[in-house]
Amino acid sequence: MKTKKKFNKYMLVSIVSVAVGIFIWWLVTAGLGLVKSNILPAPDTIVRTFIKKLYDPNPEGGTLFVHLLSSLRVALSGYGLGVVLGIPLGIIMAWYPRIEMTVRPVFDLVRTVPGVAWIPVMVSLAGIGLLSKALVIFISAMVATVINSYSGIKQTKEVHLWVGQTFGASNWELLTQIAIPSALPMIMTGCKIALGQAWTTLVAAELLASTKGIGYMIQQARGIYRLDIVIVGMIVIGLTGAALTGIISLIEKRVLKGGKY
Amino acid sequence: MATFWNKNGRKFAYGACGLLLFGLIWFLATNGTELGKILPDPVTVLRKFFVSFAEPIGTKTMVFHILTSLRRMLLPYLVACAAGILLGVVMGWYKPLEAIVKPYIELIRPIPPIAWIPLSIAWFGFAEMSKYFLIFLACFPTITINTYSGVRSVDETIVRAAKMLGARDSQLFTTIVMPSTVPYIFAGLQVAIGSSWATIVAAEMIRSSEGVGWLIISGQETSNMPQVLVGIVAIALTGLVLVSFMRLLETKLCAWNERGQ
Amino acid sequence: MEQKILINCDHVSKTFDTPEGVCSVIEDLDIKVRENEFLVLFGPGQCGKSTILNTIAGFEPVTGGEITVNGDKVTKPGPERGMVFQTTALFPWLKVMGNVEYGPRMRGVPKKERRERAQRYIELVGLQGFENSYPIKLSGGMKQRVGIARAYCNEPLVMLMDEPFGHLDAQTRYLMQEELTRIWQQEKRTVIFVTNNIEEAVYLADRILVLRNCPTSVKAEYEINLPRPRSYTDPEFLRLRREINDVVDHTL
Repeated sequence: MKTKKKFNKYMLVSIVSVAVGIFIWWLVTAGLGLVKSNILPAPDTIVRTFIKKLYDPNPEGGTLFVHLLSSLRVALSGYGLGVVLGIPLGIIMAWYPRIEMTVRPVFDLVRTVPGVAWIPVMVSLAGIGLLSKALVIFISAMVATVINSYSGIKQTKEVHLWVGQTFGASNWELLTQIAIPSALPMIMTGCKIALGQAWTTLVAAELLASTKGIGYMIQQARGIYRLDIVIVGMIVIGLTGAALTGIISLIEKRVLKGGKY
Repeated sequence: MATFWNKNGRKFAYGACGLLLFGLIWFLATNGTELGKILPDPVTVLRKFFVSFAEPIGTKTMVFHILTSLRRMLLPYLVACAAGILLGVVMGWYKPLEAIVKPYIELIRPIPPIAWIPLSIAWFGFAEMSKYFLIFLACFPTITINTYSGVRSVDETIVRAAKMLGARDSQLFTTIVMPSTVPYIFAGLQVAIGSSWATIVAAEMIRSSEGVGWLIISGQETSNMPQVLVGIVAIALTGLVLVSFMRLLETKLCAWNERGQ
Repeated sequence: MEQKILINCDHVSKTFDTPEGVCSVIEDLDIKVRENEFLVLFGPGQCGKSTILNTIAGFEPVTGGEITVNGDKVTKPGPERGMVFQTTALFPWLKVMGNVEYGPRMRGVPKKERRERAQRYIELVGLQGFENSYPIKLSGGMKQRVGIARAYCNEPLVMLMDEPFGHLDAQTRYLMQEELTRIWQQEKRTVIFVTNNIEEAVYLADRILVLRNCPTSVKAEYEINLPRPRSYTDPEFLRLRREINDVVDHTL
């Protein structure tokens, strides 16, 4: 009982804290006019812009919904491909020592390059359409999934493998029945990290080379000093990122429940 | 011969084969093919990379570009470390402050630092300050949250043991809470150095006149693919050095810990 | 011979508030511990032995009655009581020397003096040569030796030991029991030792208090007058062991 009460007290402090923050924000912008709207728009302006952008394609040519859909399409196609290829690659790399020794140096070189740096290469190869961005996201998502499924398999407890061997399991059975199930939590973590990477890289790609998408929207809005739209865009980016992570966490719960014997 | 084929020797041989194979495929794919008109072959890239240390790209040599990017990154990184560790510690130690500050950090965290680029340009123009601001945002929340969770997960029995031995509150803090938080802080510092390197590359790609990010974006603008790839090599190698340096530092400072082993 | 009473638990009780209601762990417990006595609290599984120790240590407040150590009422942890933990609770970032000298360092004892004192206790527990090792490099038995040296080095009036050998393997456990007897005979202290192992209790104790199951209180008391070092197979030892075994609550 006591702990619950305490929890509520601090929750209240947090809510008051955020409310005071928003109030100060309002005070220095709309209330007292200390900060002009081309530096920091008032919170109520942000809310109004947000609602307006839901149906109004002006000034940069797309509603919030259109931009978000475009961003999601690029991000998820690149991410999906990265995960689908990254998981088996990581598993194979960890399980077969010869492949590991051959591929690892190349992989270690590639992984140190941040996703954004691939943008010019991909734009040169595939133009500034969906494909080039999806490719960039694919690389950054794949790197994260490979690393995590690789270390997941590597952390398989030897005892578990010995148990499998005493029951006469073949190498393939050891991998599929023991190593992969016990690596699942790490693999799921990889999927989560990859999603964060993919979303970050997407924003960078859209800032640099795009004609649609949330990143494009905030870049254009900045050019015409519409900071209210910039902030709306940032909020949407943050919320979508959080929502996607939430979905993966839900999937994670499902998968891991089934994966624990 | 027998000693050469020990574990390390084999690892090295396979690794070298892997790298050579990678280079060979790249070479064959770009030599006299359609792709070769867009993408230079590996020999050209490597030669140009080494030459760039003597001959300037733009107006400066490679060393200058790398150092410029590092300098831009280092100052805000250090400020974010100091501020993040301080805030994280105070948040972990003093509950009311946690309740006030934590919601803000949780609100900022899902927004990728790159998404702040338009806003930072609107606030600070294209001056160095806008890059400092971005790097700070890339590091600060991570370091704060890591430090905070380190302080919160100090082993209760160890605190009891110290109290039993007569440690006062201030001594508990300096001799127990701080050292046991060090591994958490280090994990935060490592993640932060990776993401700030990616962020500085992105920021330089958006707008700058020198640095490794500028190398690749100006290469793209002048259709100079070799320069783009040289930039990527520089980014990869510098990133590798940064990460290795942090890991070395961790092994030295956390020799008592499993992570340091 | 009338000896000084160092620890006095006077009608102590302790309850916890849980979501299911009030849970009573200690009920009307009276314990008097004489100076330099080795007292063993012996009881089954989760009977609340550790809670008794935690209240004497001052980690948890009593909800009824009073505990005094050397005449002073216990309200919080303090250096006049030393504690050895089951999980060792060593400071992993400090080397053996750093762990042992921690108490004196907190009280501002000059470096030279506390080093010398720590060295003496490191040697007492037989760890010379390991002063500069981190705990992660030590075996379970060695870690617990450090824990004992650390508690000793603070020179407390009372040593509280909470199943310190509970995590050790059987062989190491016998060895550590012998070692503890040797250490205690060399440097006499008032000890309260908690265990759920009868053999360990009979081997170590001057006096054994057999505890009831939760809510706990004293069920029986035995003075053990066997000469030290004791033998696990001595007929008198075995007789005591059987006798105590018959008194214990065997319900889970």
